[in-house]
Amino acid sequence: MNDKPTTCGFCSCGCALYVEPRKSGLGISGLCPSTTHPVSTGRLCIKGWNATTSLIRVDRLQTPLVRKGNELQPASWEEALSVTADVLKRVISTSGSEAVGVIGSAKTTNEECYSLVKFARAVLRTPNIDGACRFYDASLIPALIDTIGIPASQIGVEQLAEAGSMLIAGANVMEQLAHIGSRIQDAVENGCKVVAVDPRKSRLAPQAGLFLHPKPGSDLTWVRALLKTILDRKLYVDAAPQMPGFEELRASLDDVVIGVLPQVCGIEPEAVVEAATILAENEPCVVMFGLGVLQQQDSTILVKALANVALLLGGYVMPLRGQNNAQGACDMGVLKDYLPGYEPISSVETRAKWESAWQCAINPQAGLSAIEMVQGGVKALLVFGENVALSAPNTEQTISALEKLDFLAVSDLYLTETAQLADVVFPACSFLEKDGTFTNIGRRVQRVRRVIDPIGESKSDLEVIVGLASAFGKEMATDPSAVMKEIAATVPLYANFSYEQFETGWGEPWRASTPTPRLAPIHATDLPPEEPDYPYQLLASRINFHTQTGTMSARCGILTREYPESVVEINPSDAEKLKLRPGRVVRVSSKTGSLTRRLAVSDAVPQGCVHVPHYFGGDSANMLAGYECDSISGVPVYKGLPVKIEAVS
Amino acid sequence: MSTEVQAPTLTGAKPRNMWGVTGVPTGNLYVPMPAVIEKIIVETPDTKTFRLRLEDPKHAEWFTWEPGQFVEVSVFGAGEAPIGFASSPLERSWFELTVVNRGKVTGLMHELKEGDRVGIRGPLGNCWPLEDIKGKDILIISGGCGLAPLRPAILYILANREDYGEFWLLYGARTPADINYKYDLVEWEKRNDFHVLQTVDVGDESWTGNVGVVTTLLDQVKLDAANAVALTCGPPIMIKFATLALVKMGFSEDRVVTSLERYMKCGVGKCGHCCVNHVYLCTEGPVFTYAQLQEFPETRA
Amino acid sequence: MNVGDKLILKKNNVSDFFYSLQEQMQLIAPKQRFAGDVVFDLVNSPDEIVWEYGHDIYPPGKRYLFPHYEDMFSYRQGEQIAIDVAADVPRQAIVGIRSCDVTAVRFQERFFSSPIVDPFYKTRSDNTVLFSLVCNEPPKKDCFCICCDAGPYLESGFDVQLTDLGDRFLYEIGSEKGLDVSEPREKYLEASTEQDIAERKRIELHADSLFQTASYIAKAIIYITSDEVPDEVWEELGSTCFRCAACTNLCPICTCYTVDDRPEPDGSFTRCRSWDSCQYAGFTREASGHNPRPTFGSRVKRRFYHKASFQYIMRDGRHGCVGCGRCVSSCLTKLDLPSVVKRIRRAMHDYIEPISKPTAFLE
Repeated sequence: MNDKPTTCGFCSCGCALYVEPRKSGLGISGLCPSTTHPVSTGRLCIKGWNATTSLIRVDRLQTPLVRKGNELQPASWEEALSVTADVLKRVISTSGSEAVGVIGSAKTTNEECYSLVKFARAVLRTPNIDGACRFYDASLIPALIDTIGIPASQIGVEQLAEAGSMLIAGANVMEQLAHIGSRIQDAVENGCKVVAVDPRKSRLAPQAGLFLHPKPGSDLTWVRALLKTILDRKLYVDAAPQMPGFEELRASLDDVVIGVLPQVCGIEPEAVVEAATILAENEPCVVMFGLGVLQQQDSTILVKALANVALLLGGYVMPLRGQNNAQGACDMGVLKDYLPGYEPISSVETRAKWESAWQCAINPQAGLSAIEMVQGGVKALLVFGENVALSAPNTEQTISALEKLDFLAVSDLYLTETAQLADVVFPACSFLEKDGTFTNIGRRVQRVRRVIDPIGESKSDLEVIVGLASAFGKEMATDPSAVMKEIAATVPLYANFSYEQFETGWGEPWRASTPTPRLAPIHATDLPPEEPDYPYQLLASRINFHTQTGTMSARCGILTREYPESVVEINPSDAEKLKLRPGRVVRVSSKTGSLTRRLAVSDAVPQGCVHVPHYFGGDSANMLAGYECDSISGVPVYKGLPVKIEAVS
Repeated sequence: MSTEVQAPTLTGAKPRNMWGVTGVPTGNLYVPMPAVIEKIIVETPDTKTFRLRLEDPKHAEWFTWEPGQFVEVSVFGAGEAPIGFASSPLERSWFELTVVNRGKVTGLMHELKEGDRVGIRGPLGNCWPLEDIKGKDILIISGGCGLAPLRPAILYILANREDYGEFWLLYGARTPADINYKYDLVEWEKRNDFHVLQTVDVGDESWTGNVGVVTTLLDQVKLDAANAVALTCGPPIMIKFATLALVKMGFSEDRVVTSLERYMKCGVGKCGHCCVNHVYLCTEGPVFTYAQLQEFPETRA
Repeated sequence: MNVGDKLILKKNNVSDFFYSLQEQMQLIAPKQRFAGDVVFDLVNSPDEIVWEYGHDIYPPGKRYLFPHYEDMFSYRQGEQIAIDVAADVPRQAIVGIRSCDVTAVRFQERFFSSPIVDPFYKTRSDNTVLFSLVCNEPPKKDCFCICCDAGPYLESGFDVQLTDLGDRFLYEIGSEKGLDVSEPREKYLEASTEQDIAERKRIELHADSLFQTASYIAKAIIYITSDEVPDEVWEELGSTCFRCAACTNLCPICTCYTVDDRPEPDGSFTRCRSWDSCQYAGFTREASGHNPRPTFGSRVKRRFYHKASFQYIMRDGRHGCVGCGRCVSSCLTKLDLPSVVKRIRRAMHDYIEPISKPTAFLE
């Protein structure tokens, strides 16, 4: 057979698997995990085992589509590319390059991400390039750069089993990232103590030595109390007082009153002391946090606070990012405020470096974020591999803003909700059909290999970007290995990588040149005001079976059979109070929007909360969120959003 | 050319013909026989009865079946679903299947028109022990679409009425609109050798009959439990309460016979979906006595 | 030459022997893959065969006789339904397969042929010859075939069994199929000596003494057969399950599958069967939404009932585990057979800690 090793494109764990293409017809005849790969070690999760059935399908986009009148009609690649290039040129000449926006994906390869950034900044010369991370986890970037020095996990998945203790906040990790969940179980077996923090009782419960259930949105209060406890009880490592920022941190916590914890967070002060002691006494500690932390008011400050915990205790930070190339896409600079390698766009030297590398002038303006772009901040928008219509907040308004754009071009596998609104649709090929690299959650840069031929006329995003650039008279590298050569030459974090090296092993984590850790001051912020009309608080979490608006996973027979329908969960006592029986169709509404689903009751959901699975199906939690964002990072607020719930007659 | 069925069947009632055991007329166990939809009868808002005729005369000649058996229906473009025979086994030129619309395959089947084709693999499974219970009083209890797999048994018993003793049918539906085979029930109620009692969970303006679950009808039944056999089919909860009531009436556990339903794929004892403990419903069931079910702890769930 | 012969295949003849066999059938054998992985694969030349390999995580017997995704037939709608049955089954020899996997193939052959014969499995298995390779020592620490009567060497069940004796293989013929492929290659084979047989005996005893994993499955079978294991134990076990189904996917014994009608670009459909798992909630959930196995625990219980109950031993002729250890290495948690057997035994002895009341995670 001609099966090849490749990297799974379903989550950030980045397992290696062998996929065996079928001799004839659509599909594959089998797949198996690598036993020597440090993450998969002979194992895969349910998404990995079923990775291919959602990708190799007849309903994939077969040809480019161009809108003619009201209809998207099949078109040639030449036509689709030239229509797009012509519109972009016209918009730029009439309204300036600032009128064009580009949104990249956290699913495409590093080579594609890098080329997209280069295309946006050097060819289109727009400052408006941003990534899907803005919808999910971008708040960790400023927060971790200011603290641990690198906006990434300090350790790999394979090292987790050696942790002495873990603080896991706001992450449904057992469902979302099975390999990390598995390593947590291994660590617990080795004696690791887990402090879990989640408003909801998750499947982490059997592993958690201490499980705190704070009220949604109150995280900063208990983390400040935790920091204060660590400082007051001198639980920190010897080196901590010498760390820059130590005194500022201490001063910023002067106003912490432990006594308010029960009222504000619903947590007993003793529990915070116990958590601090567990984490300090069981070295090394690993601080992990997921979207529960990353998608709330003041998430950047909250991430800094959690990073401080790790720094004070001499531990490690591991942000739990979901998408397969969330790390790599950010490394490649699919961000409004950074060039590749987290080099700030605001710096004159940085711009000079990249202007000379790319032989162009870089627009020094601060760009719009992905959320500002989908609100209509631009006239023409290019979206690569992200179903923004569903993954951006405020679904209803977002869709109407996307409809109003002068021009929308989308590259994706399927005719997604976003693609349906587009003027030009490029059929993209999946990770099984192209070469490239993904960077996993532990910064490991690994090879993605073309296992099967592209479906229909689909092309990789890299080919689309190169095609567009060439319509602008700019030649860009088409070969992924050549792009990696360019990345290695320009991005210091990736200086050591080459395709030759990837042929000899499973890749390596990128290493930053000795980042200097700093403690950040953590001042109190205002708690969100109560909304009497919306007495419940929203909890949104990811589930085992579906990712990324279900573009891929909802098309997999096994995955949809496992999780056919998304429900709304509330505590049984709330159900009784509201006189709602399980199975009843209910409407959950916020100030912004509403969604309708069947009701289920669960003891895992605390009283006063409504739990909705995230990023699956058209009618997701995104319907409820407005455009309110964390003020530093611009990540939207979902957690703790005030909502109400009522029966639909 | 039928040979003796070798597959183990638990009720002791061995069907004369079973796909894969007595032969495979298409030459491959998994390849269905094409059949044409001759007639569609709308039973309830979500239930239709399809009258089918096998296209190939050689298939039709081979195709004999007994009440309680079922087929795998291929709805082309969607997949296969197991459906029990619902017509008289004495009718050799066609057969009927009653299909509730509640999945991908059955949903697409409901969109088919007369003249459209489906694929058939069958007969599958064992059968009601109609030969073994000759001379006995018969009590049939069924709920909702659970009447479908019992209808062939009823039609067979009515055609051989002198072979059986007292004959009772208790039938419960959710609402009057959910009653299947209304045209049959009207005829059956007219007979004086067949006691038919009906009930609905929730009535409407026109409903003058009994309201309540089917077991509430048991008080009206007059027969000698010691010489009677009960055949039941319906929702799991109905079967459970009916069985408890029957045992209380004096039915021994091996005289309460039921047909189980499970998610099913292959129909030939390979795919594993329909396993209950160590038994494959598709080849060793679906018909069991309550006494036999005691060996399968999984059916208690 | 007869079935039961114990011959010698010298290592300097191995290459020629298999080149000659390759003219008759394709060779599937352990092959060096990426970064140290060894996976069974089609070999272009016998020289690619990695004889000194540990254990392939992807059970070769299952993979090549009952593939993960297998097309059954394709059909096209129209005036008539045109059905085209998949018929691409090559003759193949699986060379270097371990004893546990050979035992599993025999198990599956029995399952797929009684009482009803599965035509796809039958054709593949009729076209396959197994050259099994004795484990001179347990290839992995997870191996426990010795507890399951399935290795590290076989008394019967193989077509040809090879034992590495240093510069030579002991070549045992175990079936007519094995004889058929041996007779034409007589020139590469020679008679064995008493010393060879003695050396083989020494290897057996040595291998037997090296197992690190033990599974006292017999005791668990008693508890499971009588349905004595409390549901709390199953729920506690189930509470850690990630539902990946690796345990059943990679189990060389497991046979469950699902069937899908896959639309093809040309408008036809392919009816395809693919591995399914009793560990999925959707495996038994009915169209009405009712699920007879609604909890994680009930599904773990199901798996072990099939693996280790007297009821299934009566059906299948043996219990449903060959001790290959793949459920140990592939499970994201600890729901492998030895761990579960250990947990059951512990739960059934009151001198060990009482069972905690776990939450039953629904669906």
